[in-house]
Amino acid sequence: MTLPAEYAAFERTVARALRAADPAAALRTASDDATLPDDLRAALRRAAPDGVRLAALLVARLRFERLMRGSDRAAARFERDPRGFADAFRRYHAEVAPTAFLPRDEAGLFEEWWSEAER
Amino acid sequence: MVDVAFTLQADRAFLDLVVEGVTPLVDRFEVTPETLWTVDRDAPDRFVPNGYFARFLELGRAHGKRFAAHGVGWSPGSADPDRDGRRARWLDATARTHAEFGFDWWTDHLGVTDLDGENLMLPLAVPMTDAMAAHVRDGLRAMAGVVPAVGLENSAFYYALGDPLDEPAFLAAALDGPRAHLLLDLHNLVVNADNLGFDADAWLARAPLEKVIEIHVSGGDVSEPAWLPDGRTLRLDSHDRAVPEEVWRRLAEVRPRCPNLRAVTLERMEGTVGPDDVAPLLEEVRRLREVVA
Repeated sequence: MTLPAEYAAFERTVARALRAADPAAALRTASDDATLPDDLRAALRRAAPDGVRLAALLVARLRFERLMRGSDRAAARFERDPRGFADAFRRYHAEVAPTAFLPRDEAGLFEEWWSEAER
Repeated sequence: MVDVAFTLQADRAFLDLVVEGVTPLVDRFEVTPETLWTVDRDAPDRFVPNGYFARFLELGRAHGKRFAAHGVGWSPGSADPDRDGRRARWLDATARTHAEFGFDWWTDHLGVTDLDGENLMLPLAVPMTDAMAAHVRDGLRAMAGVVPAVGLENSAFYYALGDPLDEPAFLAAALDGPRAHLLLDLHNLVVNADNLGFDADAWLARAPLEKVIEIHVSGGDVSEPAWLPDGRTLRLDSHDRAVPEEVWRRLAEVRPRCPNLRAVTLERMEGTVGPDDVAPLLEEVRRLREVVA
């Protein structure tokens, strides 16, 4: 079965919101999006703000752990400068979509971003 | 007979600490297929076995243990599950893994982890609509073509997209049909009940317990007050603590209500077991056997 096209739009909205600076506000705004059908907008309105914020934090943490497993270089940078690296990772997470599944692919995405960021 | 099972984590330090003690105490191992795969350098769109594949297989064969699979990447609620051949890739790799391990069943988590091509890894709630239930069900039928039985776990969701007490009916609809089962995770249930504010007994009263093939037990931490603006803390499904008494109590209460139960599995996350944790962990496995006997 193929889901109606609105579900893809809904999914895109949730994915972007969970990497937004204020995930709860992003989902709340999306719940007013008239291009989404009523039942999906109603579903978004049910999402508890604290739960959305925590889910977004856990998504970032899981990605960070995946990067640490995949890249000795990134782990060494974190070891040398935890606060500076955490700031860099925050920017990376906001700017680069998490398309990797395996740790080494995450490492590749991060190194590419790091090279660009250093220029 | 209901098996006592333990999750094998693809982590050398974890395995070195726990395998020797746990193996004689359990009937079955649960493995996460995705942790046994890496990418084929010559064909990047294909998963191939990594080093843990052979290690787990050898462990099972040497000690006569059966395996169940518990995936993390199927993402049953993805709107476009075959984007870039993703679902075909999972089916192919699962079939080849099953050919060696002989999984008695395969399960994954209710929800979605792959959203619009983004792999967020955390199972996230999906709208509990009829269309979504049918979509999830169709995906499970595809997986049922490569393994003997399939199932979904009630996930830990930190936010819900509807009334959490509607979830049992949604699960029943998604699992409608033969060879489709429920993996009842009791820690997820108590975490969700606390965080989302519903009655776990009412959830269980509505759940399709005749569909339960496996029960998970585990423990978890709570979030840090600094994580949320108002300092509120939420329970986490972190698998990094001993099983709480509430979960033990619920296991004893619900186990007789699951007539088709085949295993109860203790889950513990890698990186959360030190030398001092091994003896208490083995005690939990022994307690599990007493409860399911």
